[in-house]
This record gives sequence, structure tokens and C-alpha cells, in this order.
Amino acid sequence: MITLYDFELSGNCYKLRLLMSILGVEYKIVPVDFYPGREHKSATLLKLNPLGQLPIIDDDGLILRDAQAILVYLAARYDASGNWYPRDNPALLGEIGQWLAFADGITATASAARLHDGLFYDLDVEAARAGAHRLFRILDEHLWFGQQVGRDWICAADHPTISDIACFPYVLLSEEGGISRQDYPAIRRWGDRVKRVPGFIVMSGIFPAGPARAI
Amino acid sequence: MSSHPWHPIAASHDLPFRHVFHGQLFGREFAVWRADDGYVNVWENRCLHRGVRLSIGVSDGRELKCQYHGWRYSNRTAGCTYIPAHPADAPARTITNRTFPAEERYGLVWSSLEEAAALPRVAGLDDANLLVLRGMPLNAPAALALAHLADYRFQPNNAIDSKEALVSIEAAEGFSIALRARSGSQETLAVFFVQPVDSSRSVIRGVLDRNAEGMVRNTILRHHNERLSALRDRVEREAAALPAAPPIEPVYESVAPELAEMPSLSASGRRAAITVQVARKWMTANDIAGFELRPIRGLLPTFQPGAHIDVHLPNGQIRQYSITNAPGETDSYTIGVKRERDSKGGSSCLHETVREGDLLAISEPRNNFPLRRDAVKTLFIAGGIGITPLIAMAQALSHMSLLSELHYFAQDETQLAFPERLATLGRALTSHLGLNPQATAAKLAELLVDYRPDMHAYLCGPAPMLEVARRIAAEKGWPDASVHFEYFKNTKAIDDSSSFEIALARSAVTLRVPAGSTILEVMRGNGIDMPSSCEQGACGTCVATVLEGEPDHQDVYLNDAEKRSGTKIMTCVSRACSARLVLDL
Ligand SMILES: N[C@@H](CCC(=O)N[C@@H](CS)C(=O)NCC(=O)O)C(=O)O
Repeated sequence: MITLYDFELSGNCYKLRLLMSILGVEYKIVPVDFYPGREHKSATLLKLNPLGQLPIIDDDGLILRDAQAILVYLAARYDASGNWYPRDNPALLGEIGQWLAFADGITATASAARLHDGLFYDLDVEAARAGAHRLFRILDEHLWFGQQVGRDWICAADHPTISDIACFPYVLLSEEGGISRQDYPAIRRWGDRVKRVPGFIVMSGIFPAGPARAI
Repeated sequence: MSSHPWHPIAASHDLPFRHVFHGQLFGREFAVWRADDGYVNVWENRCLHRGVRLSIGVSDGRELKCQYHGWRYSNRTAGCTYIPAHPADAPARTITNRTFPAEERYGLVWSSLEEAAALPRVAGLDDANLLVLRGMPLNAPAALALAHLADYRFQPNNAIDSKEALVSIEAAEGFSIALRARSGSQETLAVFFVQPVDSSRSVIRGVLDRNAEGMVRNTILRHHNERLSALRDRVEREAAALPAAPPIEPVYESVAPELAEMPSLSASGRRAAITVQVARKWMTANDIAGFELRPIRGLLPTFQPGAHIDVHLPNGQIRQYSITNAPGETDSYTIGVKRERDSKGGSSCLHETVREGDLLAISEPRNNFPLRRDAVKTLFIAGGIGITPLIAMAQALSHMSLLSELHYFAQDETQLAFPERLATLGRALTSHLGLNPQATAAKLAELLVDYRPDMHAYLCGPAPMLEVARRIAAEKGWPDASVHFEYFKNTKAIDDSSSFEIALARSAVTLRVPAGSTILEVMRGNGIDMPSSCEQGACGTCVATVLEGEPDHQDVYLNDAEKRSGTKIMTCVSRACSARLVLDL
């Protein structure tokens, strides 16, 4: 059984809850008092992750940190369809890896701005916002050109992959860090598509989409 | 600076079904969405309730729902159709979001902050053959973007890799500039419209005069995207050096608090405010004619499921008909009219005299049969032509995937009206054909058997059937507040022999109602305006609040509990048992 060391308002923890919900994987939650308790810096948790960050999972003794790494593990291990992380498609895996790294960039910028605005972190919020806008411009352009050739998702496949899950939370939470998505219409449309993946769940600040049109 | 107030606010491809686009023009934000019927809605981006942005709302293809408190607004009219905090009440029709004009042309969606004449044609562009570039948002004023576009260089569509083309300015007007690139025998016209988003933000929306297919198309789009990105970087660098202009602060007209609260009866008397044309008349069932009524100009007012209109007939009569449309179908009202054998003229006039193309005067819709959208399960029970309000309601719940059943009692198959609408209900629809009164009562007893809290039932049909249903529902434990009736007419004989006094508390007048006159007539005769519709105690429009005295109820609109409480009266038929009634008017 998987144990997730979780903070409810963390987009990185939500990524994992989201994928596990989509895959129908059962898991247990250990709530961590990230704010204001700073429990992720406690001795117990530092032993699990010396970086002092969430999320962490423990899958029957296998301890993993880093949301992107855990998405890789969960999809490779628990996704029977083989779509979320297609192990036998090197080109697609390369692409996925590239966008997983991009997702960490979104955490470093958009999530940082949100921590500043919401949890009063002391950091250069203007730099964080500018960095997020730089990434969002790249993602919007990528998604727009994808749509021109009928591609709905971040990677070149006719189905979503873990790179969509990895990028989704902090893009959709960006307004909480003062980063408007108004200039990124292709990102906004992609957000609706992710929300319509069967098994989708919400977190505080992320709203559900309505049903797609039949036909 | 511009000769017309139209600006592009989105590309057509920005509006897939069930998506809400976030737009902006001169600082004013829009929620833009395409309804399932294709209509493009451009609305003020604020929910009237608490100012929440509607661009984060949910479009169900017919209505837009605000994310926070669930207020729902109708396609086209932007009128509020439902307020979850008041599930039993019909929102006032005056609760309407601000809308802006919308026009789709050249692959773009155009709007304007003011009433505007038609969107002008752009020389050299043909809707049937063009290529819309990726919109390029910039953090820079529109004027600066336009100035730089004069120096924009690009290649003709079929000469992307040829030597650098010659580019000339074909036209420059207001917020647009047209450039032509020539290279050898190849040439392409590119028209750029710069959307002024705010004082220091804009979007460059480019359209080429010719489409392309496959890889070539992609190459062209990339070519312009690269060059426009480079242009954007130059413009933004220059803009960053300028003193920042303060953002434009649009004025939001505030909504009167009473509009954002409870429903009010706004229409007065029996006014026929709207002229409609019979766009289509057809037999939707044996003896039932369907009429599709379209506005002569402008939009029809928002209707809610369960609402009716007064139709003013050519023969001078006024009749009530329920609107059968599903939510969001606001371009016409469709009513169903049964030919009554003992018709006093209303239905036969519509059946025989009124033809396609004729004009009719109608009232604004009124909703005295409001539908809750929070029941755990809803039963709709229709007898004959009683289907009309219920079909609108059933379509609304079905579209929202809320649990409901529609039971339609009729003589036989040929009597089932609006089969095309019924078909959309799928398994929620059951018809009960050819039952005699005993069998009907037995079926009603079966349907009403297991009341659970938070279930609601809505019934409309002939009076005897409704009376039986009312008795059965009470026996089976349904509270009055959960069973809702709509009568076509009041078949009770009205006793108007009493005479009494009415005191109108707010108007500070006292009037005498003699035998043979109604409260409504006496008030009107004394210059007091009062909305009314059926004037026979069935529709609920002329309700008044009773402050003192004992009403003599003769209507079929109020339920037993309401009648017992003595706090409401239908002024068109009901009277007083006491010598005096004090009304809150
Ligand atoms: N690369 C890591 C970043 C995780 C991360 O930034 N986690 C946040 C919570 S969402 C955290 O624990 N921050 C505390 C810190 O970095 O000290 C991942 O993707 O898991």
C-alpha cells in the first residue's frame, strides 16, 4: 500500500493524488503540517527526504521523493494501459522527460509566487512571476501549434501523459501567485481537457470543468 | 483614432464548445463563450452576485454557471435563470448580465464597447479563403505595436524560403495595417488588427489572404509566429523604457441590491410588450399545434423553465401558454396549443386564423411555476397538454444530468406533443396511454408511492387529474411544499356575491369591493396598477400579501397550506370572509 506524505494545498502533492485517482490506485495519506508547522523540515521527514520537501511516498518500503520522479514510478508500475508513461516508446519518453523538467521550472516560478502571496514566503516575487510568464509563453505556443495538427496534449501522442499531470497544477493555480493566464488561451483550453480526463479530482483553487459536448 | 468601434477580441478557434474564453478591450474584461447552438456570447466578466469572474465559470452549452455560488445565466440574453440560494423562487427577469455585440468574421471574433453599425468589410480578405495567425499578446500599448508593424517583414505563402521579399504597406487605418509581401511571382496580403487590451497591453491578430494545407500551412504559421515573436520582443523592450500608463479602469454599472436579491413582479397590468412573428406553425400532435415565435427585432427576454407568456390574439382575447424550450434556446419561444372542443375562441383562433408569418403581441415571460434544481429526484407528471411547462423543466434537469422522471398521460400515441423534444429525454420519459380515470388514479398512486425528503413533484394537467393527484400525494406523505401544481384554468364556479372593504397599506387607500366586481378590477378602476395574466385564479401573477383579515380563496394557484395560512390572495378571483382585508400594496 502506498503512503503519501501530503500537504493538501501543495500542487506537487496534488499531482500525485490526481494521477492515483485517474489510475484508480489506492493510497493512504499522512498529512504533513507544512504551514505553519514546517513539519517537512522535522527530523523524521528529513530522514525520508534530506531536501526537506514534499511530496514523498513510501510504497511498501520503497521511499521516493520528487513529484516528477514519483509520477514516473506510479505510471510505470500501476498504469495497465501503458499510456501515461509508455515504456517502449523512446522518443515519447524523451519528450516526457523534457516536460517533466519543465514542470519543475513551473514549480520554481509560478509556485514560488504563490507561496509568496499565500504563505508569505520571502522571495523575489517579480522575478518569479516573470519567470512563470516566460514558461507560459513557451507552453502556450507549444500547445497552440499542437492543436493545429490535431494534438491535444503536451507530448506527441493521442492521449495525455504524466507530463500533462506534472505541468497542470501550478499552471492552474497561477492566479494565486498573481500570474494571469489571460494571454495564454491555448493553455486555458488545455486546462479544460485535463479536467475532463476520467478520474479527475480537484483541489482548493482548481475548479471542475463542465461536461464536454456530446457527438 | 479608429473610424469604427469594432475590435477583434479572440480568434474563432479560441471558442471551442463548452469553453469560456477570457477577453479584454480597453481595460474592460469579457467572458466569451460559444453556446451549443453556435451563438457567441460576449459578456461583462463579472457575476452580478459578487463580482466573481465569469471566465472561470462553466458553460454547459446552454447556460453559463458562476463557479462560486452557482448563479446561472442564459445563452444569448445573459438573463439569470437560477439562484441556488433561492431554489424555490424564480429570479427576477431583470437580473441580466451586461452583454456586448459579437460578430464572427475573418476567423476572428469582434466586439465593441458601444452600440455599433455593422462591422465594415476589409479589402482583400475573403471569409472563405484565409489563414488566421496565432494571436500575439504583448505587454505594450497598441499604438506602439502598430508603429512597429509598419516595419514587419515576411515572406509570401509559397515563397517562405525564397530570398527576402519586398513588403509594402497597402492600407493603414485605425487599429489595423495591411501589408503585401512580394517575391518573384508570389505575393501574400497580411492584415494585422491590433486589439487594445489595456493601456499597456495589446494583441496582434494577423490574417493572411490565402489558406494553405498540411505542412505548408504549418510552415507559414511558424514563419509568422517567429517573426511576430521577434517583433514582440523589440516592442516590449521599447515599452519597458516608457513610463508605464496606469491601467484603464472601466466603470462597472452597479446592480441595484434588490435585483441581486429576491424576485419581484415587474410587469404591470396585462401588457403586450413584445411583438413576435410566427416563424413556424405545425401540428405537433393530433389537435395540438406548435407555434415557434421569433422576435421582430432584438432579443426575446430570458425565460426560465416553467414560465408562461400571455398571447394577445387577433380576436382580442388573451391566453396563457407555457414556453416549451430547453435552456439557452432564447432565439424563439415555442408554445403548444390544444384545440379545445368547447373553446371560447382562444385556441380555435390560434388554430384556424393565425398563420406562419403573422405577427402576435405577447407579454414578457412570467414564472409562477419555478423549478428547483437541487432536488434529489424530481417527478414531472403531465396530463395531455399539461406537458408544455413540464417539457421545458424536464429538458433543463436532463441537460444538467439531474435525476428526474417525466410521466406523460395521454389518450394515445398520436396525442404526444413535441416528440422531438421528448426524444432528448431518453429513459427519463414514460408515457401512460389510454388510461381511464380509475387506472390513472392507480398509476398516480404508484408513481407517488415513495416520498423521500428533498424530492419534488411538478404536475400540470386537467383539474380532475390534479385534484386526484393532490389527494394521493397528501395520503402518501408528500408535504405541500414539495408538490407543485399548475392548472390550465380554474374550473370552480366563482362566487362573487360578497362585498367587503380593502385597505391598501402602502398606498394608504381604502376601497369598497361590491358584489360582482373583483379586487383587481376595483384597484385598476382606482388607478392602482397590478400585474395579472389569466384573471381566473390559475396562474399566480396577481398575488398580493394579506396583512389582516380573512381571505375567501377561490383560486387553484395557492396550495392548501398557503390557503390556510391566509397570508396571500389572488386578487383576480378571491375575496374576503371578513368585512375588511388589509393588503400589502
Ligand atoms: N522538485 C520537487 C519540488 C518539490 C517542492 O518544491 N515542494 C514544496 C512543496 S509543494 C516544498 O516542499 N517546499 C519546501 C522547501 O523547498 O523547502 C518536486 O517536484 O517534488
